Amino acid sequence: MIALAAALLLLTAPGPDDASVVLTFETGARTGSVMVALYDSEADYEGGAAVAQAMVPASGPVVARFENLPAGDYAVKAFHDVDGDGQMDTNPFGLPTEPYAFSNNAVGNMGPARWDRARFPVSGETAQTIVIR
Amino acid sequence: MQASRRSFLMGAAALSAAVAAPETVRAMAAMQASADWALATADLEADVAPRAMRLVHGRAPAGLTGTLFRNGPGKFRRPGGSATHWFDGDGLMRAFRVNGGQVTLDARFADTPKRRFESEIGAVVTPGFGTPGDARARIGSNDDASAANTAVMLAGDEVWALWEGGSPLAMAASDLSTKRFVTLRDDLKGMPFQAHPRYDPDGTIWNIGLNGGQAVVWRLNADRSLNAAQVIDLPRASYMHDFTATGRHLILVLQPWVFDHRGMPYASQFAWKPELGTQILVIDKADLSRRRLFDLPAFSYFHLGDAWEDASGTIRFDVAAGKDVAFAIDGARVLVEQRGSVPGEHAVLKLVTLHTDGRAEMASSGVTAEFPKSDPRRAGLPRRLTVHVAGERPDRPLPTGLATWDWNSGRSDSFSFGDSQIMEEAVIVPRGPDETDAWLVAPSINLREGVTELHAFDAARVSDGPVASWRADVALPAGFHGIWAG
Repeated sequence: MIALAAALLLLTAPGPDDASVVLTFETGARTGSVMVALYDSEADYEGGAAVAQAMVPASGPVVARFENLPAGDYAVKAFHDVDGDGQMDTNPFGLPTEPYAFSNNAVGNMGPARWDRARFPVSGETAQTIVIR
Repeated sequence: MQASRRSFLMGAAALSAAVAAPETVRAMAAMQASADWALATADLEADVAPRAMRLVHGRAPAGLTGTLFRNGPGKFRRPGGSATHWFDGDGLMRAFRVNGGQVTLDARFADTPKRRFESEIGAVVTPGFGTPGDARARIGSNDDASAANTAVMLAGDEVWALWEGGSPLAMAASDLSTKRFVTLRDDLKGMPFQAHPRYDPDGTIWNIGLNGGQAVVWRLNADRSLNAAQVIDLPRASYMHDFTATGRHLILVLQPWVFDHRGMPYASQFAWKPELGTQILVIDKADLSRRRLFDLPAFSYFHLGDAWEDASGTIRFDVAAGKDVAFAIDGARVLVEQRGSVPGEHAVLKLVTLHTDGRAEMASSGVTAEFPKSDPRRAGLPRRLTVHVAGERPDRPLPTGLATWDWNSGRSDSFSFGDSQIMEEAVIVPRGPDETDAWLVAPSINLREGVTELHAFDAARVSDGPVASWRADVALPAGFHGIWAG
């Protein structure tokens, strides 16, 4: 019996790089694209390179899918490039005028949401809906 | 049993006498009964559904029909943390609706992201003007920190709750339900829109928003659409709650309360440096690059009166001028503590004159005054009358009466309710051609009855007292600023 359970566990346990993240964005406008960056460590999230990126047109369902990820903690930064100019537009005082969001729908404290608010565990297929408007 | 308990209490009393260090005394002061003015900063726990106010004095003025919209903080305290400064309570919009001699009152909280989040977690955590806030705050934009609690402007079938650091918040004029933050143009989303817009006779509206040594100058059309927004550099990064204007010029008063270091709460970033004096920046409305700078000895202020300009180009405006920023820093904090003495000297109504040869001078009326207001039809035009609240004393932190000051005759016409009422800012409702042909409409908190009242005064005879007073069955905390919709 124990041997059978162990065998089943072996069959179903995820391999090293077969986790995935599926992010569904709820946007206000239907123009432009949602730009998504996925991070796998606090250091990279706070100022390094993304492990993966996506640009999803906002005209249809806005779903970003990241496959073949090692299980672990991840966090997402996204902004909606409403006017499609490739930039995150800001007002004359330097504050964003295009919608932005973080995983967990986290909100920062006078700045971007920090890793501790935005990080989420990923194993198997992990889905989140992020409101960005 | 009884005896041993008494001896224990006696022992405790002796012990406390032996250790009555200053901090102990302060802690004991905190246990004292609330001041008799404490209703001014009491918490209102819920919206106030429309209800009739009862005429308790005089006769309703014939022809006085309209709504007094007023904004001001309505809730400060939550179990897990509280606003500690008068300027940081949740915005409560009030509507005193006057029609055919009948008055109704309704009030609703501005449904801001700040209030929603803090209601959910049961704690005030958002930094404000004088409230530090804490690490639990969720601020993704200026508007996330908005208390929407300072003033109000009319906008068609909406009223816009104004704050200082972010966007106007649109609320329905009919039922005060919150609609949305107002973005005047997509690329200006979240730009600060301050609480004291100025109105031109043709309906054009001017306002400012500050960011350190820069200001955005807003110019709105009469229909509240955007005409222009331009960022200008300031001679110094001064804290400004208000500005004023003549028909041709914008006037920014740069008190020597200047940006010193980053931090929270907001006001902690500014240092009072009286040695710098106060500068007056005059900007041509037609060309914001055309500007003149005047120098005066240091004074502090929150509120300015409407300015005017004579044929020679001499500019005059009044100011509720203070000596320093003690009230702004500490006084407004003690008001929320609801006990103890409130630091800071009360403001005095003064007149600034800017001569065409570059000289500036300042004359004092000698009267204690705040919330200076004048005939809305004469905004930016020559006038003589200023309406203001009155009666603050060193032992009385909030106004007890209303007055007018005539800059031509040097005469004050004033009425005091005595210590039984807290007087709030008046609006001027014109009824005839002269400046004194007007009703002054203002609420008060009747401390003896424990309720809010609404009063109408005759601007020509303020000292006669209200011609009509209506009483609600509920007390609202003291508001800041209002506007009349006729």
